[in-house]
Amino acid sequence: MRERFRALDSRLLWVILALIALGTLTLYSAGRNTPAASIWLKQSLWNLIGLTLMLLLATVDPRRLFRYSFPSYLLGLVALAAVLVIGKKIGGATRWFLIAGQTFQPSELMKWVTLLYVSHRLGSKSADSVGRLELFGAVGLVVFPMLLIQRQPDLGMALSFLPILLLIPLMKGLRARWVVALLLLAGLGGFGAWKVVLKPYQKQRVLIFLDPSADLQGKGYQVNQSRIAIGSGGLIGKGFTSGSQTQLNFLPVKTTDFAFSVWAEERGFVGVLLVLGLFGLLLSRILDAAREAHTYAEAYFCAGAAGIFSLHLLVNVGMVAGALPNKGMVLPFFSAGGSSTLSFFLALGLIMGVLHRARVK
Amino acid sequence: MDPRQRPLLRRRLGAFKVMTWGLVAFLVLIYAWLQLVRYWEFKQLALQQAVKIRPIPAPRGLVLDRNGHRLVDNRRALHLVIQREDLPTRPEVVASLAAALQVDPAALTRKIQSYRLAGKGRPLVLKENLDEAGIAIAERIRARFPFLGVEVAPRRVYLGDELAGHVLGYVGEVDEPLMKAKPDLYRLGETIGKEGFEASGNDKLKGLDGQKRILVDQLGTEVANFGQEDATAGRSLYLTLDAGMQKIAQDAMGQEAGAVVVLDLRDGGVLAMYSSPSYDPNLFLNRLSQDMVDRYLANDLTRPMVNRPIQGIYAPGSTFKLLVALAALEKGIATPQTAIYCAGKKNYYGRDFRCDKPTGHGTLAMVQAIAQSCDVYFYDLAARMDVDDIHATAEKYGLTERTGIDLPQEKRTRIPSRAWKKKAVPKDPKWYAGETISVGIGQGAVGVTPLGLARFYALLATKGKLITPHLFYGYRDDQSNELQPAPTPAFKDTPLDPKHWATLDEGLAEVVRSGTAGANPFIREIASLVPFSGKTGTAQVATFVDKAHYARQAKKLKDHALFAGYAPREHPQIAFAVVVENAGFGSTAAAPIAAKLVKYWCLDRLANPLPPPRGRMVDPFAPQGPEAAE
Repeated sequence: MRERFRALDSRLLWVILALIALGTLTLYSAGRNTPAASIWLKQSLWNLIGLTLMLLLATVDPRRLFRYSFPSYLLGLVALAAVLVIGKKIGGATRWFLIAGQTFQPSELMKWVTLLYVSHRLGSKSADSVGRLELFGAVGLVVFPMLLIQRQPDLGMALSFLPILLLIPLMKGLRARWVVALLLLAGLGGFGAWKVVLKPYQKQRVLIFLDPSADLQGKGYQVNQSRIAIGSGGLIGKGFTSGSQTQLNFLPVKTTDFAFSVWAEERGFVGVLLVLGLFGLLLSRILDAAREAHTYAEAYFCAGAAGIFSLHLLVNVGMVAGALPNKGMVLPFFSAGGSSTLSFFLALGLIMGVLHRARVK
Repeated sequence: MDPRQRPLLRRRLGAFKVMTWGLVAFLVLIYAWLQLVRYWEFKQLALQQAVKIRPIPAPRGLVLDRNGHRLVDNRRALHLVIQREDLPTRPEVVASLAAALQVDPAALTRKIQSYRLAGKGRPLVLKENLDEAGIAIAERIRARFPFLGVEVAPRRVYLGDELAGHVLGYVGEVDEPLMKAKPDLYRLGETIGKEGFEASGNDKLKGLDGQKRILVDQLGTEVANFGQEDATAGRSLYLTLDAGMQKIAQDAMGQEAGAVVVLDLRDGGVLAMYSSPSYDPNLFLNRLSQDMVDRYLANDLTRPMVNRPIQGIYAPGSTFKLLVALAALEKGIATPQTAIYCAGKKNYYGRDFRCDKPTGHGTLAMVQAIAQSCDVYFYDLAARMDVDDIHATAEKYGLTERTGIDLPQEKRTRIPSRAWKKKAVPKDPKWYAGETISVGIGQGAVGVTPLGLARFYALLATKGKLITPHLFYGYRDDQSNELQPAPTPAFKDTPLDPKHWATLDEGLAEVVRSGTAGANPFIREIASLVPFSGKTGTAQVATFVDKAHYARQAKKLKDHALFAGYAPREHPQIAFAVVVENAGFGSTAAAPIAAKLVKYWCLDRLANPLPPPRGRMVDPFAPQGPEAAE
C-alpha cells in the first residue's frame, strides 16, 4: 500500500497543495466581515474530502475507470434530466439537487464524465485521424449534455464542455475538410439557432453575454469594483486581510467568482505571478501526463482536462480583470463550492493515476 | 498503442503546452497592465470610495429674547428607525409592522424598497420626531419588532410655536441652485436659515463646521476615523424682541389678519413684530406635506407666509394725515391756527370728496382736525400743495426708504410723486390734481409697511430722530451667559421744527384723550392709567387681499383698521403701528390692540411679566421642572 502511494507524482501533488493553501488563505480573507466568515473552514473540509478521493483514485488503474465511462455517462444524462424536474431553483436557475441540506450541481461532475467517455470512445480505435462517424458521434455526445445544461439555464457551464469537442479531435488528428465541415456546421447551427430556436429573451441574454457593458447596472458594477481591487493592489499588494476593496465589501461575490481579485488586491502582482505560475505548472504537468500515458484514451482525457482547466483559468482570471465577458466560471482551488471542488479533485485523481501507471508500468 | 502516431501526438501536446504557457503569459500581461501601469489610477479610485471626508455640522447658536428667554433652542429629537442590515424582508413581517405603526402596508413596502435601492449610510427613518405618545407606542411595538431602533438627532426647536414665526423664520437644507451659485460658501446638505432672522442672521448663528476623515464600507457605514477637526458651535444671541410683548400682540390679534410692530425708542430695537396669520416654524423642519403646502405656501386667501409688518403694503389712511400736516406747516401754507370749515364734503375739481362725518365737523383748527380726523381739513391742506411737496417731506423724514431692518425681503413704502407716476403708470403718466386730494388722507397710491409707519411715529415720539429698526441685540457671552450688547445702529437727526412737533404731539394726544380713539371706553380706561398718543386710520381696501375672492363670497369689502402712535405721552418709550385687515374702524379694531401693548409695556411687564414660551415640542431628555425652559 505504502509502495503504491510512494509512486505518486510529487510534482503535481506539491503544485496542488500549494494552490489549495493559497486558495484557503484567500477565502479566509474574503470571508472576513461577511456573514460567511467560516467559509474557509467549510471549503477546507471539501478540499480534504477531495484530496482523499484524489489520492484514492490515483492508485486505481485508469483503464478500469474507462470501463465504467458509458454507464456513468448515461447516469449523468439522467441526473441532468432529473435536475430539470426535481432540482432546486436558486436565482432563476435550476441547477442543483438539494441533498441533506447541501446543494449538489450534477453538471460539474458531468463535464468530467463526458470527457471520460469521449476520450474512451475516441481512444479505443486506433487510427491516425478522426473518422466521420467518430466525429459526429463525439459532437453528439458533447452537445446533448450541453443542451440539457442550457435548459437550466447555465450557458457558462455549457460552454465549458467545448474544450472536449475541440481538443480531443485535434489531438487525435483531424482532416482539413472536417475542420472546414465542423466550422460550417457550427456556423449553420448557430445561425439556425439564432433564427429559429432561441426566444427573444434568450437572444437578449446572448447579446449581453457578448457585450457585458450592456448590463452595466449589475455585472458592470461588479467588474468595475474588481478592476479597482486588482489595480490598487499594485506590485506587492495591500497585505493579507488588508485589502480595502475586499474588507470593506466593495468587491462583490468575493468568495466565489471574484476570489482571485481578493488575492490580487492583497498580494499584488507578485502574488498574481505566483498563482499564475502555479497554474502554468499544473497545466504543464497534466500535459506531461498526456504525453506519458499508456493509452490514447488516457492521453485524450489528460489533454481535455488541461483544456477545461485552461478555460476556467482564462475565463475567470480574465473576467475579474475585465478583459473577458462576464460569465460565471469558477477558478479551481480559489472559488468556494463543493460540487466543483470535488469534481476537480476527481479529475486530478484520474490524471495522477495516469502518471502513476506510466511510472510503475 | 500505435507507435507511428506517438511522435505526432507528442508534437501536438508540445504545441498545446506552449499555448497554455502563452495563456498564462497573456493573463500576466493583463495583470501587469492593471497592477503596474494603471496602479495609481486604481489606487485613487479605491481611496476615493473608501476614504470620505464627512462634515461635522456645527450646532447653531440659540436665539434668546431681550430678557434671555429662549425663543429658539437646540434639542434632541427621537426618530424611529431600522438599520439597513435589519430591514425586514418577509411580507408578513412588513404587513404586521405596518399595522402596528398604523400606516398603509403598500406604502411601507415601497418605502423599504426605495430605501434598499438608494439609502446609504443612514438608517431608514420610519417616523420622525416622536412625541410623548409616539415614544410610548414605539416602546410597545419594539417588544414585537426587535429590529426597530430609536435614533437621537439634533433638532431646532421654536419654543413659541406660532409666536414669532415670521420674525424667527426657520432652517432647512441649502437649496441646490444657491449651493451651485456659491460653492465656497455652502456645502451640500448644509443647514441654513431659510426665512426670517434665521436667514438674515445666518452668518451670526452658524458656527464653523468641523470635518473628519473616515473609512467607510460599501454601505457607507463608518468603519474607522482617521482624525477630525471639531466643529465650533455658533454663538447664541439676543434679539431685541420681548417675548411677553410678542405674546400680547399675538393674543390681541387673535384670528384677525394684520400686523403689529412695536419699536423701542431708546435704541430702535423691535420689541414685538407679529404677522397674522402666523405660522409655526417647527412644522417647516420636516418634509412639507401637501396639507402644509395648501395651508401655508399656496394659500392665496390669507397668505400666511407674507411677513406683513415688512412686506404688507397698506394704505395708511388717516395715520398719514400727520405727514400732510407736517408738510403744510413746513411749507408755510398752514399754521396750527389755520381754521377750515367742514360741511361733511367738499368739491374739488368738479368732484365731491366726502368726510367721515357726513354732517360735517364745522370749523376746526389743526389739533382738533387731527383729533377728529377731519378729512375735509386735510383735503384742503393737500389742495394747497403739490403731491411733490408731500413726497419731499416724506423723503426728508425717511418714509420713502426701506427701514433697513435686519430681516430679509423688506418692502419699500410707496409715497407717490409725479416722477413716481411717470415710471409706475406709463400708460397714464400725468399726475392729476385730484389725486393729490386722496393722498391728503392717506389713500390713493399711498402704501406703507406697518414697520415704516411705526418708524414715522417713532420719529414723532423722539422729536425728529430717525431710528433704524433692528432685531439683533447682542451676542451671549460664552462664559457668563450674559448679554454683550451690540452697538446700536445710529439715529439720524432730522430738521423737525420743535414748534411743528408740538402741534402734532398735541394732536396725537388729543386723539386718545377726546378724539376718535377716546370715544372707545376701553381706550379711555387705559389712557387714564398710561396717557399715550396715537392716530386712528380706516383705510379703504385697495390692494393686497384678493378682491375677487370677496366678490365670489358676496362679502362686503371691509376697510382696514389702523392705529399708530407712541407711549407714554411724556417721555415716550415705545412707538407702534397696528393694522387689522378688513376689520372696520381704526378706533374700534386697531386702537384697543395698541392699548393692550401700551398697558403691558408700561404696567404689567413691571409688575407681573408673562412666563417665557414653552413650546409644544417634547424633549424626552430635557430636565423636568421650571428650569427646563431656561
